[in-house]
Amino acid sequence: MKTFEMKGRKIVEGVVEGEALVTSEPISFMGSINPKTGYVIEKGHDIEGAWLKDKILVFPCSKGSTGGSYMLYDVVKNGVGPRGIINIEAESIVVIGAIVAKLPMVDKIDISKIKTGDYIYLDATNGIVKVQRKDD
Amino acid sequence: MKLTDEEKRMLNGDEGEVVQQCMKVLVTLGDIYEAEKMLPVNSVHSPGVSYRVTGDAGLGYVEDVSKKGGHFKVPTTLNTIGIDSKDWKKIGFPRDFSLKQLELLDAYAKLGAIPTHTCTPYLIGNVPQIGQHVAWGESSAIAFVNSVLGARTNREGGPTALAAAITGRVPAYGFHLDENRKGNYLIKVEMNLKTERDFGVLGYFTGQIAGKNVPVFEGIKERPTMECLKALSAALASSGAVALYHIVGITPEAPTVEAIMDKKYETIKFGPKEYDEVIEKKFNFSSDVDFVVFGCPHCSIVEIGRLAKLLYGKKVKSDVWICTSRQVKLLSDKMGYTDIIEKAGALIVCDTCPVLCPTSSKGYKTVVTNSAKMAHYIRGLWNVKSALIQMEDCIDTAIQGKWGGR
Repeated sequence: MKTFEMKGRKIVEGVVEGEALVTSEPISFMGSINPKTGYVIEKGHDIEGAWLKDKILVFPCSKGSTGGSYMLYDVVKNGVGPRGIINIEAESIVVIGAIVAKLPMVDKIDISKIKTGDYIYLDATNGIVKVQRKDD
Repeated sequence: MKLTDEEKRMLNGDEGEVVQQCMKVLVTLGDIYEAEKMLPVNSVHSPGVSYRVTGDAGLGYVEDVSKKGGHFKVPTTLNTIGIDSKDWKKIGFPRDFSLKQLELLDAYAKLGAIPTHTCTPYLIGNVPQIGQHVAWGESSAIAFVNSVLGARTNREGGPTALAAAITGRVPAYGFHLDENRKGNYLIKVEMNLKTERDFGVLGYFTGQIAGKNVPVFEGIKERPTMECLKALSAALASSGAVALYHIVGITPEAPTVEAIMDKKYETIKFGPKEYDEVIEKKFNFSSDVDFVVFGCPHCSIVEIGRLAKLLYGKKVKSDVWICTSRQVKLLSDKMGYTDIIEKAGALIVCDTCPVLCPTSSKGYKTVVTNSAKMAHYIRGLWNVKSALIQMEDCIDTAIQGKWGGR
């Protein structure tokens, strides 16, 4: 078991934990995600088919439609959304969605150090990301 | 953040609970981005007006603000919705969805919104001026208003546009500030671009690279049509999160490369090879075609005129939607275009588009369109294959009922 910690910037406060779902590609909550089911539906996206439910969603930044704010709120309210968000650079569309959904979120994290399946302790209030990785 | 006395009163609740709640959202956002103050805005374009986008969560959010007696302080136009508000029964939009949509529109009406229901509010009267601070949603319209008109907005999601409309303020950060409007990518355009499809391909290519940064295009010699700029804006904000771009010698803030580039920037080439790659990798197929879509972003009257000319005396085999605002449709009716289009078997759909309305139950598998934005979104949202081809080819395809690939 390997554990390490990174420090970023608080976007929305809160403390959560869960399994990491990591993509190196930007996400548009309008278009990339089905808010009713929580699955990634964007064709050719590197996490197409993945399920957001209860994950700590790790991606570089948001892209695309401004409808994404309400759609993030909706996917969370539908109970199939992520537990927290980690970005390289928080873009306004996801930020406002996370504020309204009260979803813990940090940015300014080197996400290349996190792998899908890592277990994450996210202390967004203090901007701390603790990563726990099982030995390969 | 430094607030004026009036803004402090709003935050303290002196103007009521709704204003306070909205001011809190804006202050939270301003704190994250280290804004020094608020800026007054007098134009808002609100996204999050389609029930497909808001779901019950967003509908509840807007209704809550509306029921608590919220009222828009500044002129606020509404983005594209999930149905044709007049012909939803005739076109066959699902009843449950439509009723929820109408409920959402009621909430916005009580807030004092201007019910434009279009992604191109700049075609029907919401036209900010150069240097003016505004709060706009709709990714394609944001890129258009920042870049082509030179007004200043960040990418506002539904809740921030709502808060801006109610308080008349936005935090001063991002694209409101001079220093963030310089170019970070210089895109050297080494080919002639003519059609909306061409500019869509350029935008799609560039958005993937630029992300949320500012691309600057060099080498576009002739002034693109408004329709081409609309297509470019939409594509940049589909593959990426581009809110602002410049075209050297064309858009108002970019007289020369030297004047508009940041100190450090990256140079990227866009030529026939890059163009072909976007089409081959993303938007190409050959087969029968179920559905042909125009009007992403919503058609101008000029585009509808061109479509009417191409469809005159013809019959389409594929289903065809031409999406536009109701105001433009009225012009189309008056000019006889609607008649020609409907006689050919195509449909003019107002207020909505396939990105924001419910997925059709007709089981479409293949879609062609001249819009990169539509080609991008409809694949995932409707689970179809999509091809990006120019308007004339789209019409030929609709008449033949098939597309042979590029």
